[in-house]
Amino acid sequence: MPDFLKLVKSILKYLFIIFFAVFFFFPLFWMMIVSIKFSIDSFTMSVIPFLQFNPTLENWEWELITTSAQNIKFLLNSTTIGLGSGAIATLLGGFAGYALARYEFKRVGNLNILTWFLSLRFLPPIALAIPIFVMMQSIGLLDNVIGMVLIYSSAFTPYSVLVMRDAFRSLPPEMEESAFIDGASVLKTLRVIVLPLVVPALAAIFMLTFTFSWNEFLFALVLTIEKAVTVPIRLAGTVTTVGVLFYQLSVRQLIASVVPITLGILVQKYIVSGLTMGAIKA
Amino acid sequence: MAITAKYKIYHLLVLIAVIYILLFSIFPIAYMVYGSFTNWRLGVPEMSFVGLQHYVSLFEDYRFYNSLQVTFYITVIAVSCEVILGLFLAELMRGGSRFFRTIFLMPLFCAPVAVALMGEVIFYEGYPGGPVNGILNMIGIGNIPWRSSPLVAPFTVTLCDIWMWTPFCFLITLAALEAIPKELTEAAVVDGASSFQIFRKINLPLITGPLITISMFRIIDTLKIFDIPFVLVGGGGPGIATETLSIYAYKEAFRGFNMGAASAISVVFLMIVSIVSAIAIKRLRGYYA
Repeated sequence: MPDFLKLVKSILKYLFIIFFAVFFFFPLFWMMIVSIKFSIDSFTMSVIPFLQFNPTLENWEWELITTSAQNIKFLLNSTTIGLGSGAIATLLGGFAGYALARYEFKRVGNLNILTWFLSLRFLPPIALAIPIFVMMQSIGLLDNVIGMVLIYSSAFTPYSVLVMRDAFRSLPPEMEESAFIDGASVLKTLRVIVLPLVVPALAAIFMLTFTFSWNEFLFALVLTIEKAVTVPIRLAGTVTTVGVLFYQLSVRQLIASVVPITLGILVQKYIVSGLTMGAIKA
Repeated sequence: MAITAKYKIYHLLVLIAVIYILLFSIFPIAYMVYGSFTNWRLGVPEMSFVGLQHYVSLFEDYRFYNSLQVTFYITVIAVSCEVILGLFLAELMRGGSRFFRTIFLMPLFCAPVAVALMGEVIFYEGYPGGPVNGILNMIGIGNIPWRSSPLVAPFTVTLCDIWMWTPFCFLITLAALEAIPKELTEAAVVDGASSFQIFRKINLPLITGPLITISMFRIIDTLKIFDIPFVLVGGGGPGIATETLSIYAYKEAFRGFNMGAASAISVVFLMIVSIVSAIAIKRLRGYYA
């Protein structure tokens, strides 16, 4: 009896797992299918290429070759903004994270500083978007890649501070102490001894910041008009300006998703502590 | 001397980050709070003080009440489904394969805009229907007006949010479950406990803490939901059926150009989020010690 029950149980378990795998993957799968269909087939229920419909690379060709000149602009904007904000957030976060890991700020209290950084995560973006729009307008950085880098890097620096502080704290302090005894300055110790040891964490937080800024929508919607338009805005625009062109949308959607999904899978280990600002380590 | 130099450099390292953030977060918010007491309009250089006028009129504003209702409705349903589903999946996937785990995590990395647009394709209503309505037609349930009915649209938005964020709850719950020492469950098995009993009496009490923490993160993030309803149903439509607080403030500010009124909405919104955040922060402080 127990053997039979066990079998039923594990079959049931796998059925559930497969059901949810389909649930989570189906939308992405469907976009792939639509992207290799002729526009006339985009609304049919067929899923098997060659057997049920004639596959085509027409849509990919249109997006990647025919109109590539303008598409590259959006991808380039998003990449530049992602790299810029990733670099600044990692740098500032690394510095502050190191100080918070190694030094006790007696007057304010390290825990209070950390909590302040944490509390920033909970600010509603719309509350910032309104005044930042006016601010950017008055300093002439509206619709400007530099403006976007400034906003994203400051929004994501708190994440990087808290994640990096954890990374620094996990290192034994002895090596740094002996470097200090040998007369090395804080910055030199940080550069020569500590930083090489936290490269994985630095890379992860850099990629996370890149992903966050790649996916961000609200600030991009408010702060970009034409020159600095990013990929999500371009995506959203596919629908509103030309009606529902599912075949085109699916290609753009897949191009836009490939980058964050790849980076996300690479930094899986850090994604939880990244998303919860180091509060939960998974 | 060396000690003071060290002392200075540590302060400097933190101060750079703090000042950078103050410039782009705290200063703008202070300006917005000031703006909410004026008749600030986009493109009009003069601002004059109007006191509490914007706040008073919010109390009679049916769109404000609507957006509050929509936001809370979406938050309550989405978060409870995400946490419960995440727990179920974590129980299911304990010790499971990496392959399925990666598939389960994929939605988490997609841009919310991309999720909304996938929703648009999946829930397509026109003839012969997107995949969801196509399947529903096949099994005889018929077309469901996913995006065009004001009654169904909030549910569709919620569904997209659940699709995207259940993986987050799943991942953290799984980590919490895997941190439970094996001896506990093994001892229970020896004593003849059923797997449901083990779950209820051993696992659940031990992961209550993480579950509450996850819920708080999700509640705060879902209160701020903007991208999915904005893109999926055309700016909080049909009508104002999915107009969340963020969307309402956005429309007031950037379509109506009433920056003063929009700031007032944002300030009230900020206060609501702050109350929940204060509870969350109090819990989370412990994790940093």
